[in-house]
Amino acid sequence: MMLEYFNDMISGIEAKQELGKSSARSRFALELAHLGRGLYSRDGTVAWCGILAPFDLLHAMGVRSCFVEFVGAMLASTGTIGPMMEQSEQLGYSTDGCSYHRAVYGAMAQGLMPEPDFLIGTSAVCSAGLASIENLAGHYGKEMYTIHVPNDDSSEAIAYLADQFRELPHFVARQTGRQLDPGHLREVVDRTNRMRELTLEIYRLARQVPTPARRRDLANFGIVSALFLGSPGGVEVVEAYRNEFAEKVATKNPGLPNERLRLLWIQNRIQFTNPLEKLLEQEYGAAVVADELNDINWDPIDPEDPFTGMARRALSVSFCGPAEHRLQVLTRLARDYQVDGAINPCHWGCRQGTGARGLLERGLRDAGVPTLNLEVDCVDPRNFSEGQLKTRLEAFMETLARRKSSWLN
Amino acid sequence: MPFLGVDVGSLSCDAVVIDDKGKLIGWTVVPTGARNIESIMRARAEVLERVGLTESGVEALIATGYGRDRVEGRLAAVTEITCHARGIQALLPGTELLVDIGGQDSKSMRLDGKGNVMEFAMNDKCAAGTGRFLEAMARALEIGVDQLGDLDRGALGNVTLSSMCTVFAESEVVSLIAEGAEVSEIVRGLHRAIANRTLALVRRVAPASQGLKIAMSGGVARNPGVVRALGDALDCKISTPAEPDIVGALGAALIAMERAQRH
Repeated sequence: MMLEYFNDMISGIEAKQELGKSSARSRFALELAHLGRGLYSRDGTVAWCGILAPFDLLHAMGVRSCFVEFVGAMLASTGTIGPMMEQSEQLGYSTDGCSYHRAVYGAMAQGLMPEPDFLIGTSAVCSAGLASIENLAGHYGKEMYTIHVPNDDSSEAIAYLADQFRELPHFVARQTGRQLDPGHLREVVDRTNRMRELTLEIYRLARQVPTPARRRDLANFGIVSALFLGSPGGVEVVEAYRNEFAEKVATKNPGLPNERLRLLWIQNRIQFTNPLEKLLEQEYGAAVVADELNDINWDPIDPEDPFTGMARRALSVSFCGPAEHRLQVLTRLARDYQVDGAINPCHWGCRQGTGARGLLERGLRDAGVPTLNLEVDCVDPRNFSEGQLKTRLEAFMETLARRKSSWLN
Repeated sequence: MPFLGVDVGSLSCDAVVIDDKGKLIGWTVVPTGARNIESIMRARAEVLERVGLTESGVEALIATGYGRDRVEGRLAAVTEITCHARGIQALLPGTELLVDIGGQDSKSMRLDGKGNVMEFAMNDKCAAGTGRFLEAMARALEIGVDQLGDLDRGALGNVTLSSMCTVFAESEVVSLIAEGAEVSEIVRGLHRAIANRTLALVRRVAPASQGLKIAMSGGVARNPGVVRALGDALDCKISTPAEPDIVGALGAALIAMERAQRH
């Protein structure tokens, strides 16, 4: 079923491209579909991973790798998640748990997860993700490599994580019989650095007032493009975005005509089809211009010492380390993108999403940015209370519309 | 010409008419029931009849409440948060902190003292502690919801509700009755439970409330026991308007007047 879905998606996008109907987002979707097809086609090595796995390193070793949360997001966006959630509940998983991971359990039970050859868990960004990897490893009887992500970015912590990344190719080689080719890794790292450079340019362009990004252009962009790091397709995706945004800025073609309010979205967007973002745009001229996870705060990776650079990159993610680190990232994004307000969906069942919400709200308030905390399951549409969410969002927009921007002189 | 405000809540549908100076000239409150379009029509017809007007005699209408998008002929739909803030300014000028507990939502709002919302917080997904919660508890106690307010007078406060889930709390109330607990003590426990839950919402917008001018609106503000319990929890005096149910509709009518007169 899923293989057919990705094949249809690829042929649909390619048909549009032949008609000249192409956009950066459709190029992104095409790369995503290629990844999905690769995972489900059963003709290559597949690894299910935690979010902080070094996907470029795995790419260099010919491994098709992906974080497990991809499955929950994909099932939600295609409107097929309901039976997976019901299945996970029948298996006894608590409805208080994160739906990204419960969807994985449901898909696993229904035989809709590609069987992995091995697994790579990461102790951050969340323990539920690591538990999912452990469950999958047990279910499929496959080996698992666990990366312990330290809770700070000291030189000792970076060295500790780098050592685990250095050891990882040996584990992968034992699973696949293929050794890491240093020359190939160098090429991959070069492409990773090229993607970094282009992505920084994309974000610089997206910060323009008004932003050139349309509503969903950059939704899930940062977290998903990490899966393409080091690949030729990944470079093509970010080039397409850079070119599209540069042209839109040069021709003064904003993503949202009459942009009046600029918003920062904390954590992940709502993955299933819903009317809220369209409502914000149409009724209030409010555009989500910044996403917490669309951020690059790491240096180019030294091809002579790639594992240290990859460790620094992993620890730079906002969810790593103490909540103060996360607040620093959000405050910087709020300032750089000149946002009027922030929306925290407080994804239901997510301790990362909800645990620090008071601290983030107070910290952003001190920086002049009000925050709206929603209570929304970003993956399971069965818990979606449209009316209640609409009232909260609309009241927030009414309040923001009367405030003076914190960024005007 | 007069202005109309309609607040379509989950339990009641309220309509208010003001004159072109903003003076309240008529209002009505009808149960929303299962068919809110019929309730909206009924509330509009009732209030217009009371003030001797027809629809064509109304200059502009603003709708609010969860059913605001279903009100026909509106100039705009505005959320109940903004409307309650505007309405309370007319009834209790200078209010700086407003608590509105309606049928299925609780809200705390930090106001600028001029009827504008600076910050607000709303209840999470669960509707515990709202009007529907009180209705369920009154049903368990086999009394009318309007009787709850003064039943806790003189209670010692020796009953604590351990659950705020409407279903579990109802079972707990039934158990307490079976164990012989005084109704006044149970009601005091209920009011304190609502107050404590509301306190968390208040603290999100006002970490310190001493010295602030505080008011309460919405149907639950008719219950003096809840108002007292919240006042005790905040250690502050809480004012309530004479007709707390119509604050949102009044705010809507005032916003209609201000918008119409601006253009």
